[in-house]
Amino acid sequence: MDDLVFILSNAVVVACIYGLVAIAVSITWSSLGLLNLGYGFIFSFAGYGAYLAAKMISAHPLVIASAGILTGALGGIIICLLVFIPLHDKPNFTIRGMTATLAISLMGSQGLLWWFGPLSKSLPDLFGVWQVSLFGIVFTSDKLGIVGCSILMLTFVLLWMKGSRRGLEIRAMMMNPHAASIVGIGIRSTGFYVMAITGAMAGLASVLLSQTYYIAPFSGLTPLIKGVSIALCGGLGSVQGAVIAAIILGLVEAMTSRLLGGQYVLITQFLTIITILLIRPRGVAGILDRAREQ
Amino acid sequence: MSEVLNIKGLSAGYGPLRVIHDLDLVVRSGERVGLVGLNGHGKTTLFYAIAGLTGWQRGSILLNGKQIGRTRSQGPGRYTHHIVRLGLAILPQGDEIFNGLTVEEHLDSGAFTRDAWRSRKRRKDRVLELFPPLRKLMKTPVGKLSGGERRMVSIGRGLMTDARLYLADEPTLGLAPKIGIGVMNALLEIDLGQSAMLIAEQNVALLEHRVDRIIGMHAGKLKGEASSALMMRLH
Amino acid sequence: MNDDAKPASSPYRWRNPLAVWGAKGGNYEVPSIQVPDPRTVWDENTAYKVRLHKVGRMKHYIIWPANASRLWSRWRWWPTRRNPLHVRGLYNRKTLKAEKKILDRRPVYWALALLALAVAPFLFPEGLENTLLTAGAIFGIFAAVNICWTLIIGTASIFSLASYAVVGVAAFITSWLSINYGLPWWQLPLIGMVIGFLFGGLIALPAMRLDGFYYALLTLGLNELCRVYFTTSKEFGSASGGLYGASTYIDSDWPPLVQSLVGYYGAFALMVAALFLFRFTNGKRLGRVLRMAPEKREAFAEATGVDYKRARVTIFLLTSIALGFIGGFYAAQYRGVAFSIFGFETVLLGLAMLTIGGIGKAEGAVLGTLIVVVLDKVLITWGPIRHILIGALMLGVVLFLNNGLYGMKRQFYAWRDKKKGEWRSTRAEKGGEALPEEATETDDKDDLYHRRFDKMQRDYLKKLVCDEVIAEHKAKPLGQHSEALERLLLYFRRAPQEDKYALHRAGPNGPYKIVAFSGMRGTSPRIVEDREYTTIEEAYHGVFMRRVHDLLEA
Repeated sequence: MDDLVFILSNAVVVACIYGLVAIAVSITWSSLGLLNLGYGFIFSFAGYGAYLAAKMISAHPLVIASAGILTGALGGIIICLLVFIPLHDKPNFTIRGMTATLAISLMGSQGLLWWFGPLSKSLPDLFGVWQVSLFGIVFTSDKLGIVGCSILMLTFVLLWMKGSRRGLEIRAMMMNPHAASIVGIGIRSTGFYVMAITGAMAGLASVLLSQTYYIAPFSGLTPLIKGVSIALCGGLGSVQGAVIAAIILGLVEAMTSRLLGGQYVLITQFLTIITILLIRPRGVAGILDRAREQ
Repeated sequence: MSEVLNIKGLSAGYGPLRVIHDLDLVVRSGERVGLVGLNGHGKTTLFYAIAGLTGWQRGSILLNGKQIGRTRSQGPGRYTHHIVRLGLAILPQGDEIFNGLTVEEHLDSGAFTRDAWRSRKRRKDRVLELFPPLRKLMKTPVGKLSGGERRMVSIGRGLMTDARLYLADEPTLGLAPKIGIGVMNALLEIDLGQSAMLIAEQNVALLEHRVDRIIGMHAGKLKGEASSALMMRLH
Repeated sequence: MNDDAKPASSPYRWRNPLAVWGAKGGNYEVPSIQVPDPRTVWDENTAYKVRLHKVGRMKHYIIWPANASRLWSRWRWWPTRRNPLHVRGLYNRKTLKAEKKILDRRPVYWALALLALAVAPFLFPEGLENTLLTAGAIFGIFAAVNICWTLIIGTASIFSLASYAVVGVAAFITSWLSINYGLPWWQLPLIGMVIGFLFGGLIALPAMRLDGFYYALLTLGLNELCRVYFTTSKEFGSASGGLYGASTYIDSDWPPLVQSLVGYYGAFALMVAALFLFRFTNGKRLGRVLRMAPEKREAFAEATGVDYKRARVTIFLLTSIALGFIGGFYAAQYRGVAFSIFGFETVLLGLAMLTIGGIGKAEGAVLGTLIVVVLDKVLITWGPIRHILIGALMLGVVLFLNNGLYGMKRQFYAWRDKKKGEWRSTRAEKGGEALPEEATETDDKDDLYHRRFDKMQRDYLKKLVCDEVIAEHKAKPLGQHSEALERLLLYFRRAPQEDKYALHRAGPNGPYKIVAFSGMRGTSPRIVEDREYTTIEEAYHGVFMRRVHDLLEA
């Protein structure tokens, strides 16, 4: 029973963090038509931003968290300026945009390596060290904090997309960019909003993940691969699909690390991904008639 | 009576093909102008050129006295939303709708200025008065509506802000005659105030005697406009 | 649109030449206008108004004089009759001498490039020889892999990231076999081919079901799977970072320079073999079938009855066999293999190589590989900066070029054609009333010239319409007229029958009405307006005014 709870709680934590990146990838794809593989760079960038804030401003959790979120948004805006704005109306935009984000990821990570050096840095604890006992099960502070923060961020983003004018613009642009420009929705300004919001999500994920792992120039690579895998598994463009896929893969990761050992996690995860894709070639959500069919 | 739209010597086309040749057009505030002509003679190209959705090569377009558009647009639609925010409402040919949004969200999306957004409830009520059938359909996704209802949503969306110039491109295209007449009536009954409306239509009968002016468009040139002093002597 | 026809002519009084003999009906002197020279309209319209520029040279061909006795001798690809350089015989129009011309210069460029690569080792500067030779060997092998990868990503347009995985798997298994069973070096590539074939079957089957980014994810997953498996298994050298100790064709007794040279030329031969494979796949039927059915647009190929699925499976198996061969060769050359071949960095660098060169062409793959290998391996002393450079180059190429460096020419030509079209449309005079699409559809081209001439005439005649002319006609519709009025009347009388105005008389002296002919036999004229004219002079004048009105409108 203890085992099961432990596995479940681990699964949920992992799902939350990588799910944030996956949902960011999905939203960017369906509203802008860009598969942003620069989240690896944004991840590390935000981590270093939070680290610098912790060192130079204060170690207060809110400061660190907001520094991470803001740096993530900044990273998103940089990618928007360098990739989306110049390329969005050119031919071969899909492949070219993806390759450009890869190039930025490469440049950015090497730049961080050159600037900060290869040694990894750590962030001070965000959530303190306390425990809560519920129904006889012990939940540690960091797990609660991670889950809580991610759900908060996700809820905020989804509510904002549904309720505000900007969110309506983003959703409209997902469906018909030509009509959107007729109604006064600028593709480029909407692009900024989307990339900033998704960058902020990745930044938060980075700060949350750094509770367990260190910050290094290439630390964003694994979350990127996992996030993109989850997004594709869930069906590119579907938020619900990404959530479901995140939970499935989180469960797989937790179970494997408990039962088989940490080094087999990637094997089982990718075997799961391959199976899902073979059964449902368009991901869990199986979207076949969205406007932004890739 | 100020000039809402002033086009001088406009030449527009696609690549080496010129569709509109040296076009001059003036629309004053409070005017309703009908633009008639067969398909393929440049009506939609004219509207797209005004909106910046296609590039034009020569001439000038002044909206409310402000020069809009460029002689070589970088990519269609790049500046359209700037032009729209200057006070242009386009009711495009064949509806450009957002498939997954509901009728209410569609109408909301039309209110792009800040005060239009804030007063969107009042504006929505005004649109619903104009098109009563939409009242029951507010929560339905637009993709599931019939042609006439979709046209109503598309036009209603264009009416959500206080635009200075309305460009209606074939509002009755593809609709059953009775519904088409209903839609056209709604358009012709709107109180324009300081704004102006330019309606492109193939069916002259719907426009006769209900608009201030009718201009013919043939092969990219306007014909049948204001008569010369000479021709006045004929009558 | 002319408001009031303002003639460019001056008013004067026209004197009837018949006045001397007493012209019947008066009309000795009439105020009229002086008529401008009709040739001015013609000159204006037919003048060449385009600004002239110096024109550049047209496409340059290599032409040399042909010897009469050997006029038809050509080099041919035995056993076909195909001509390697598309040499064509022609006669010079000025000197009437026989000449030969090369139409396709690409084999020349290829030969030069490969020759340059072949003699490069002898031109390397002292001291750098070892670095450059090892880099050259890596370049050859990676170029071979990328050429095979181009067949999948470019020709078949299937986004697969598993190429390096196939190479790695083949390399690892053949190294292991060689280490444990002592197989000689020449067997390694052959066994690699078998392994490649099996692996190829494994990745070909999901390709039938998935496409686009989903398939890329699957292959990436396979890549990661292989990496984790090989990294964690002791059999495959998890402790030492890879396998080492396979048999090789490079004898370790030779001096190091000779070893490097042999390695370089071995890799070079591998690259040339891959180029041959590319040429004979992409240029032949299989390549054409694949290019006809790119991803998401297979419907057309299917509708024409082409079996693109079989073509896709074939290309997967073919390239995987080739990649397996390369894997075995890699093991034979380097005596083993390290885990880094499965890493994401390798895939990323490979993608950079393809993108920089341009996806779809073998030249692009080779050029991209050359650039990235030079930056990565030759400038290794620069540290992480070189990866930033590679990334910046990749970003620059992707931002400005549609399809890599080799797509530059086509992109420039397309841009230039677009600009030419735009300039031409701004210059285009609307002289002729015929839209371009009408002009090409008309059978009788004389009609187009007639329309243009007609328009010029009308432009000229509009200038002649003025009050004096109208008054003159009203006073005397028939008889001797001033030149301006006469020109107008002659033009009106020449109008075609269809819609030509005429007068209808109700009785012998009855009221007149204006009618218009239908132009068709058997169809009666239509009544134009209800207005009735009592006298025929008024009726003539009415018809005249209608025709003037139509002239001004048109």
